[in-house]
Amino acid sequence: MLPAQAPSVYTGAANVIAVLILLAEFGMFRQALLRDQVRLYAGQSVLIAVLAVLVAAVRHLPELYVLAAVTVALKAVAIPLVLRRLLRGTAPGHPLDVSHDIAGSGGLGLASTVLIGIAVAAFGFFSATVLPVSGGGAPVTALSVSLSVVLVAFVLMIHRRDVASQAIGLFSLENGISLAALVVAASLPLILEVALLFDLLLAVVVFGLLIRLHHGRAETLSTTDLTDLRG
Amino acid sequence: MNAVVIVLLVLPLAAGVAAIWLPSGAAGAVTAATGVASFGLVLALIPAVSHRDTGVLGFVRVDALSVVFLLATSFLYACVAVYSIGYLRTAGRHGHGDQRYARHFWAGLNVFAWSMLMAPAMSNLALLWIAIEVTTIISALLVALEGTDGAAEAAWKYVLLASAGLAIALLGTIFLYYAGSHVLGQTYNLAFGPLLGAAAKLPHTVVRLAFVLAVLGYGTKVGLFPVHTWLPDAHSEAPTPVSALLSGSLLAVSFYAILRFYQIAAAALGSGFPRDVLLVFGVASLLLAALYLLDQQDYKRLLAYSSVEHMGILAIGVSFGAPVALAGVLLHVLAHAAAKGNAFMGAGVLVRKFGTKQMLSVTGGLDLLPWSGPLFLAAILALSAMPPFGIFRSEFEIVTGGLAASHDTAAVILVVLVTVAFLGLSVAANRMLLTPRPEPDAVRGEPSVWMVVPVVAGLVALVVLGLHPPGELVGLLDRAVTALRGPA
Amino acid sequence: MLPIPVIQVLQVLTIIGAGPGVSGVIARVEARLQGRRGPRVLQPYYDLAKLFRKEALAPAGASWVFLAAPVAAFTCYLTVPLLIPVLTTFPLPLGYMGDILGGGFILSLAGFLVAVAALETGSPYAQLGASRAKTFAAITEPVVLFVVFTVALLTATDLPYALAATVRSSAGQIIRPAHVLAAAALFMVILYETGRIPVETHSGTNEFGMIEEARSFEHSGPYFALLKWGSAAKQLILYTILLNVFVAPWGLAATRQPWAVVLAMAALPAKACVLGGVVAVIDNSFAKLRLFKITEFAAAAFLLAVLGVFTLYLGGG
Repeated sequence: MLPAQAPSVYTGAANVIAVLILLAEFGMFRQALLRDQVRLYAGQSVLIAVLAVLVAAVRHLPELYVLAAVTVALKAVAIPLVLRRLLRGTAPGHPLDVSHDIAGSGGLGLASTVLIGIAVAAFGFFSATVLPVSGGGAPVTALSVSLSVVLVAFVLMIHRRDVASQAIGLFSLENGISLAALVVAASLPLILEVALLFDLLLAVVVFGLLIRLHHGRAETLSTTDLTDLRG
Repeated sequence: MNAVVIVLLVLPLAAGVAAIWLPSGAAGAVTAATGVASFGLVLALIPAVSHRDTGVLGFVRVDALSVVFLLATSFLYACVAVYSIGYLRTAGRHGHGDQRYARHFWAGLNVFAWSMLMAPAMSNLALLWIAIEVTTIISALLVALEGTDGAAEAAWKYVLLASAGLAIALLGTIFLYYAGSHVLGQTYNLAFGPLLGAAAKLPHTVVRLAFVLAVLGYGTKVGLFPVHTWLPDAHSEAPTPVSALLSGSLLAVSFYAILRFYQIAAAALGSGFPRDVLLVFGVASLLLAALYLLDQQDYKRLLAYSSVEHMGILAIGVSFGAPVALAGVLLHVLAHAAAKGNAFMGAGVLVRKFGTKQMLSVTGGLDLLPWSGPLFLAAILALSAMPPFGIFRSEFEIVTGGLAASHDTAAVILVVLVTVAFLGLSVAANRMLLTPRPEPDAVRGEPSVWMVVPVVAGLVALVVLGLHPPGELVGLLDRAVTALRGPA
Repeated sequence: MLPIPVIQVLQVLTIIGAGPGVSGVIARVEARLQGRRGPRVLQPYYDLAKLFRKEALAPAGASWVFLAAPVAAFTCYLTVPLLIPVLTTFPLPLGYMGDILGGGFILSLAGFLVAVAALETGSPYAQLGASRAKTFAAITEPVVLFVVFTVALLTATDLPYALAATVRSSAGQIIRPAHVLAAAALFMVILYETGRIPVETHSGTNEFGMIEEARSFEHSGPYFALLKWGSAAKQLILYTILLNVFVAPWGLAATRQPWAVVLAMAALPAKACVLGGVVAVIDNSFAKLRLFKITEFAAAAFLLAVLGVFTLYLGGG
């Protein structure tokens, strides 16, 4: 067996950023405070913007600079602001502390969930290898990472038992899809990408309204009692 | 023609914005007028589109397939708009008479209908996704409008599951973009026309993956098994006019998105794989819905499961592939919109009259509701594919197509499960309508005439579709079927 | 030109000679960060000298294992420097005695012996520390194995010298995700193995949280000195593996010239002190994890190692 070929510096750097995005996703398993989850989401979005800038610089796609700027403005600044304001509105004065030890009545501790996440991420990696993808954007390993991010985000949404964490899990899932877009659809017309981002902002506002509604009725963010509608 | 399309797309949004400021009565009138006008505009589009596609402003593209779905949506929009006038008028007795609720209702209804009219008219798969995402978030707010515990729970489940599904669909769209970029160059914009033209040259694995992701993702919004779990909750907890639109139009518009992906996938891969995928999902949905229909306590939930059943039938119909089956599918879209709209509107009358959604508490419907009782019974029979209504014709065409394409097993399963569903629906209707009312002091009469007229219109439409669809409509359907079949 | 055996001996001498010094530097940096003056940098040497002069005691029921274990462990710590690139970039003859798995084996053997000796004593704290150490080792050992796999996949061999050469060869090798992840995972394992925050407090005695520190509770005199010296040497060995193989494989002697070797002998403790500074900053920034959360810490290290293997094997990175 020959030694593994060293990738170019660009490929390596881009892959490291992609892996950091996946690690941020795993980090959301750990964070019990909603405030920290929102920060992790903002950090993840910044990483996507950084990757977009890197791809733009190396692959000569100037539109991605604008996309990176809009990503930072919307996903790293505006959406966390909206989320934090909505969360602050649910418990006057204090950032809400919903410990997943209490809310996560599924019974799985953190280490077990991380192991499940690893298994799921492995599936994501394996499944991406069968795709004959050669992109004009970020390197192909990032596609495997993006599929893993999507799958781990699903695990996160299933594991979490309160509405705000589920919403943030959904937004990080969308981050994974943005990462996939950077690999295979790097030159999607800018107008479409910006429209997608604004649509996301709208979705965040609606999510926030529904979280407020849920909190107003149930006095808690937990979803363990949402069992009225069955059958 | 271009002007017609532009007006069609702008009018409902303008009405929605106006409804924020108008008092309830005026908003209702504006909405009803807009609804009827939209229906008229779509009818005006039919002759033109039967011959060629219409494109406007680069991002709008209306062809025969789009107009079928626009027809379903606009018809239901008109009916529901008129119906809601009566629905809100009778709301005072149940505590929803305030202006704020009415303002939210009218504005939301108009914007919701606008988004559902936009989706089939988009020329570009990414804009299609955005339009359907907009329908999701608007309808989620509408589902939560009632403000009860059940409504809040249903709205949360709906928005979370539907958004997750749409995220999967977005991934599918991106993969399809990637497939297309191999052929059409790096910077094309997912426009549907060029993509379909170049479909034969797209790389197969990627298109397969994109198609499955799209069926799974958009199928969440259509209500296909196993991602249908939000549907019974959302459709039963929403205000009844909104439920009618959700079941009758939104599911169909989401199915339209799947049909677009089907067109491309069939052109790229040959029809075997896409049809198998749709067959699996369709049969599973139909089976699940038929079984659940046998054991329901809430009649709006019953109707919601019936929607799952009919969406399964649509998927199975497309998977048969014969021209008559595809014609049946498109006719089914129209007939189901009318029938489901009627059923929900009748259910709304029952809610207003009896004050509950539980089937056990509703008895003597035919005695107490001289118009709505029989009309509701007719709607249930229509949903169960009784002649002379349109759904009988469409399901007959679908089964014929299945037998013609030698999918005998699937056709037989379809008929058996539809019969099981009929059993469930008829037992419920029987219990609610045909039993005598125990206490003789209940008032006999309709809550509001506004709630009867649209149902009559729907019934007329169903009979027309069932007995003798107008020639223009048949021409439209033929052209749409040709587009769906693609290069044979 | 220095003869090869001399260089080999110098390797061992550098590790055991500089080990306590690095500990001293870390303690002083940490104290400075906390606003104190801190002990002298050479304090650990004075401590060792003091302990060697003291009398050795053994508990009543202990057997010869209790007295032999510190000596045997120290011998292991003398052996491992022969296998890893401490001073030179070219492999020395005894370096082929064992690969990186072999080095890991010997380190685990040393830990095992000390744990057995602690069990011998019958003291509750020592036994507690020993059992905790081995329980968590069961979780961290797979991490080390995955790191070794990453290394092996990268270089088609698991000789540490070969990996160091590969990493030096191009910038692309340093920045590839598999390499970065493996280095991060190894760093987390090192925090565990050397008993630092967030696993254990190195300074002071906190009986309910002690893992590594508790195992040497019952030893005294020269045996205790050997244990302390050994753990300082182990710390430097692990730092050397991380630095000279993964992170900063520069400053090693490429030839056998005396000045090159002396330069390498000075460079290694310097690099180790920088790493020690990082560890001191981490010490002061985080709180110790509660014992049952150490599994989360180990799971995080495992995650990094597994992702390293995935990106390398499945992703071509």
